[in-house]
Amino acid sequence: MIESKNQGYSGEINVDHDWRRSVAPTRRFSVIWRRINGGVLLRAGSLMGFALVIAYFALAAPGFLSVGNIANVLEQSAILGVLSFGLTIVMIAGGSNVITGGIDLSIANNLGLSAAVYAATLKIGQPDLVALGLTLGTGLAVGILNAIAVVGIGILPLIATLTVANICAGFELVITQNTVLQANSPFLTVLAGNGPFGISTLAYLLLMVAIVLIVAIEFTPFGLRLYAVGGFRDAALASGLSVNGYVAASYILSGICGSIGAVLSVALLSGSSTGSGDMLLSAVVTALLGVVFSRRLVPTISGSLLSVLFIGFLINGFQLTNISSYWVNGVEGLLILFAVATTSLVRRTEA
Amino acid sequence: MNSDPSSAAVPETIVQWLRRSSSLRYTVVLAFLLVFAFLSVKAPGFLTVSNFANILLNNFTILAIVALGMTLVLSTGGIDLSVGTGIDLSSLVFISLVSVHQSLPVAIGGGLLGAVATGGFNAFLIGALRIVPFLATLGTLFIGESVQQLATNGGQPIYLITGTLPSWFIYIGHGSLFGVPFPLWLAVALMVAYYLLTERTAFGRNTVALGANPSVAWYSGARVRLTSAIVYLLSAATCGVAGIVLSATIKAYVPLSGNAYLLDAIGATFIGTTLHPEGRPSVIGTMLGVLLLSIVTNGLLLIGWNFYWQQVGTGVLIFFVLAMSFIGRRLRG
Repeated sequence: MIESKNQGYSGEINVDHDWRRSVAPTRRFSVIWRRINGGVLLRAGSLMGFALVIAYFALAAPGFLSVGNIANVLEQSAILGVLSFGLTIVMIAGGSNVITGGIDLSIANNLGLSAAVYAATLKIGQPDLVALGLTLGTGLAVGILNAIAVVGIGILPLIATLTVANICAGFELVITQNTVLQANSPFLTVLAGNGPFGISTLAYLLLMVAIVLIVAIEFTPFGLRLYAVGGFRDAALASGLSVNGYVAASYILSGICGSIGAVLSVALLSGSSTGSGDMLLSAVVTALLGVVFSRRLVPTISGSLLSVLFIGFLINGFQLTNISSYWVNGVEGLLILFAVATTSLVRRTEA
Repeated sequence: MNSDPSSAAVPETIVQWLRRSSSLRYTVVLAFLLVFAFLSVKAPGFLTVSNFANILLNNFTILAIVALGMTLVLSTGGIDLSVGTGIDLSSLVFISLVSVHQSLPVAIGGGLLGAVATGGFNAFLIGALRIVPFLATLGTLFIGESVQQLATNGGQPIYLITGTLPSWFIYIGHGSLFGVPFPLWLAVALMVAYYLLTERTAFGRNTVALGANPSVAWYSGARVRLTSAIVYLLSAATCGVAGIVLSATIKAYVPLSGNAYLLDAIGATFIGTTLHPEGRPSVIGTMLGVLLLSIVTNGLLLIGWNFYWQQVGTGVLIFFVLAMSFIGRRLRG
């Protein structure tokens, strides 16, 4: 069942682009580099960078390290965090190759659609439980659609999820008529309020979702098999894993993460919002940046949590030191390029 | 089945019939005809000359130009997510120069330069640093957004005052030659140029080789990194033309408006791959894909679907055509 790659034009987008990997002779440099272990260095460097950024803002902006501000950063990062967890799971099961591997570009529009469903259900007078059920159902349905498209039909994940994203955006517009639907309910008030120690409930929820997923993905046989499927598909097939099942499960989990993010977003903004699709790129950035926070340079939930907090602190620090928010996108763009350039350099020399 | 004498002896299964490459190749043509027939019956005023002129000018032109660059990029096995940045930056520079009364060559040159800067950045990241195209162009897209926000004070559009515009500016967006609108001439000229480039030159063969198998292309002496660098430059420059036409048509620069073309351009190219015998992106296929998308958008509008349902409709249509395309590819093995 071993399929050889690249026989003729298969229509696959070749992300690997490393046409010289097999050609380059083993250089002494790479042997030394391997001994130093670039991955560990990179991870240490990234953590150090994180620490430096925090140290800088702590000095430059008084109150940056106060409990209230940290809780504020956690609250603001909750939605993006849950989205990037979903993406991370898809990337784990799909492998490191961004395009032929796994990616879920529909997750942000899924959030928009699910949030619209929640707000619209409340609007027609249904209780929270029904709204919650329908919202999670929407996320599940989007996840299943992605799974069918990618695993069942075999459309490239990038293209498949991009199309599903467009369909979600269309349905969201149909529901909201491109307006903001207000939503208020007892459950949303609890979510938007503060929990113990005066820290926002959303902050607790982010940490809770993170802990559940870290346990499920990094400490259970299921998680290990997800990594096996993404890491070496043929080996996973040969050892009897239901590869298609795991990949499908990853898209469904990602769909559910999208709708959990939607519930948090409805609570935070007291309603649906237009333009939630814009969160996609930030979610991709955080999931990719999470890779440099893991020891083996693979996507991990804990790495994504760190990277979401890193970006959260960065944006917060910008606000506190009065740096224009227009810089945020550009800095995120540079961070992607940095993360990708360094990880591919390390991988190349380790290979 | 009975029309084909060779298969008359042994009845073939449906799978075998589908496998004969020609049957699935024409899924798009079939979808096209079905959509066309449906709209002709259902949509009032669809089958009129003026409506087709309208489709070609308003729905087809700019997407077609953007999709040409995307076709070239996709045929090398890469992807360009920053087409929107190319469109926007060219539009920004072009409109800014026109608003301070610069001459035609300066304004157009400046606009194209804005787009080429985007492409040059991509080419550097992909060709020199060997960053994966998906991520490199994603980074460019982000940086482009920041640049636009910083340049426009957070996303303020630039509108031109209609009375004072030079005649050449009006001509780019609204002029016509032999009764055909100028933007359409431009799109057709680019189409011919891209067709010749991809199908008739050594460079075109190299891009296809690169898409089929980069290692083999490298072994056989193709200048892989140079080729991919040029491809991203060309794609951005083409988006620059689209940006100039777009801003001349609406007489304004609207920040971050180029991204709307990304999915449609990718969708049209993939719809086009179903038409090609090897299933690879091709200029003619892409143009048919763009035509299909523009006819659907126009038709749904005529039927009376509002903008929101149109988006659902085109999304579902692209989904089904892609599904057919990938099922076909799987059947062919």
